[in-house]
Amino acid sequence: MTSEAVIETRGLVKEAGRRQILKGVSLQAAPGEVVGLLGKNGAGKSTLLDVLLGFALPSAGDSRVFGESSARLSAASKARIGFVPQQDELMSLMTGAQHLALAASFHEQWDRALIGRLAREWEVPLDRRIGTLSGGERQKIATLLALGNKPDLLVMDEPASGLDPVARRQFMVTLLEIAAETNRTILFSSHIVSDIERVASHVWILREGEIAWQGELDQLKESTVRLLLRAEREFSAPLSLPGQLHCELNGCSAMVVLRDWTADRLPEIERATQSRAELVPLTLEDIFLAVHA
Amino acid sequence: MFTLDPHSGVPIYRQLLEQVRRLVASGQLKAGSELPSVRDLALAHAVNPMTISKAYSLLEAEGLLQRNRGRPMTVAARRHAIEPLASRVRQLAPQAEQLVRSARQLELDRKDLRTLIDRIWESGHDK
Repeated sequence: MTSEAVIETRGLVKEAGRRQILKGVSLQAAPGEVVGLLGKNGAGKSTLLDVLLGFALPSAGDSRVFGESSARLSAASKARIGFVPQQDELMSLMTGAQHLALAASFHEQWDRALIGRLAREWEVPLDRRIGTLSGGERQKIATLLALGNKPDLLVMDEPASGLDPVARRQFMVTLLEIAAETNRTILFSSHIVSDIERVASHVWILREGEIAWQGELDQLKESTVRLLLRAEREFSAPLSLPGQLHCELNGCSAMVVLRDWTADRLPEIERATQSRAELVPLTLEDIFLAVHA
Repeated sequence: MFTLDPHSGVPIYRQLLEQVRRLVASGQLKAGSELPSVRDLALAHAVNPMTISKAYSLLEAEGLLQRNRGRPMTVAARRHAIEPLASRVRQLAPQAEQLVRSARQLELDRKDLRTLIDRIWESGHDK
C-alpha cells in the first residue's frame, strides 16, 4: 500500500449467488486524478463503486480508501468522501433549499459560497419540493449535497445521465474547475464515452467484471491503434499479431486493432504480414468497441 | 488560439504540443509571448487540466516554453528565430502524405486535390 493512493484495490471479487460480478479487480487512483470508469451495462461498475465505498462487502480481495479498509472506514475518512448515487436518496417532501440546509447543519466545513454559486449557475429550482422536480434537477441537487463538504474523493455513479447537453457541459466544466483547483480525486462511472474522453485524466475499462485497461487516457490513446495493412496478395488466414484486439480481412487489405503499441513495431509487422501498414489513431469510443469486440 | 478536439484519436496534449510548435516555428508566437494558464485553457475547452500541463511540461523540456514564477508561461527567448521555410514545410509532410494517400484511394487527381485545398484555404483563412 502506497500512502499516495486514494483508492487501492487488490484482487477484488464480488459474488452474487453463483455469479461473479467482480472477478479479481486491482486498481489504483492517486490525488488529483479524474478517473472515468467505463463499461457496458452490467459490467459491474455500480458494484465496484459499492464495494469501494463500503456499501457492499467483497467476497474476496482487498479494497482501501485513504489507506483504510472500505468495509471499516472511520468517520473522519467518510467525511472526506462525497458520493452521488445513480438513484438519488433525496427526501421528496423537502425543498432543495431545506435539504441543502439540513446537510450543511451536519458538516462544519460546508462551503455555502460554492453551493450557492453552483445552484445559481446550474439553475437549480431550490424553492420547489424535490418530489416535483425532474430527474436532471434532482441529480443536480444530489451533486450539490456531495460537493458541499469539499470532499477529497468525489464518487459519482452515472452523474450526467439525466442532464441535457447544455447542463452536461456546464456540469463537466464544474468538475474540471474542482479538479484544477485542488488535489481532489474524482471517480465517475459512465457509459457516455464522450464525457469521459473530455474530462477524465485516467480511465478504467471494466469488462464483464474484469479490468480491461487502467491508466492515463492519453497513454491509452497512444498505445491502442488501428493499422490498415495493404498486401500484394489476398490475406488467406486471419492474422494473430501480438496484442491484437480485433481483425477484419477484406481481400488484399486488413484492419487490425492492437494494444501495447509503440512505433518501433511497424517494420516488424510489415515484414510479418508482407504488407504496407498505415497507422490510424483511435478515439476512446473506437477503443471501447474494440475491447468489447 | 488553439483548436483542441477531445474526440480525436490524437491525445489532447499531443494536439497542443504540435500547435504550439507550429505557432512558434512560424513566428506567430514570438519570444516572450504569454500562453494561457493551464486552468484557463482547460476550462475554456472543457478538457482535463492534466493533459494541458503535460503538453506545457514537454514544451518546457524542449526549451520552447519557459516557466515563470507567478506569471504565465512564455515562449523562450533563444528560440525566437523563425524556422526556415524548408523546415516548416517538413513539419507538415506526414499530414500531406496522408492526404495524398487518401486522395489516391478515392481516385482523385492532383487538380481535384488542389481545388479542394484552395477552397478550404480561402474559407478558413482568418487573415
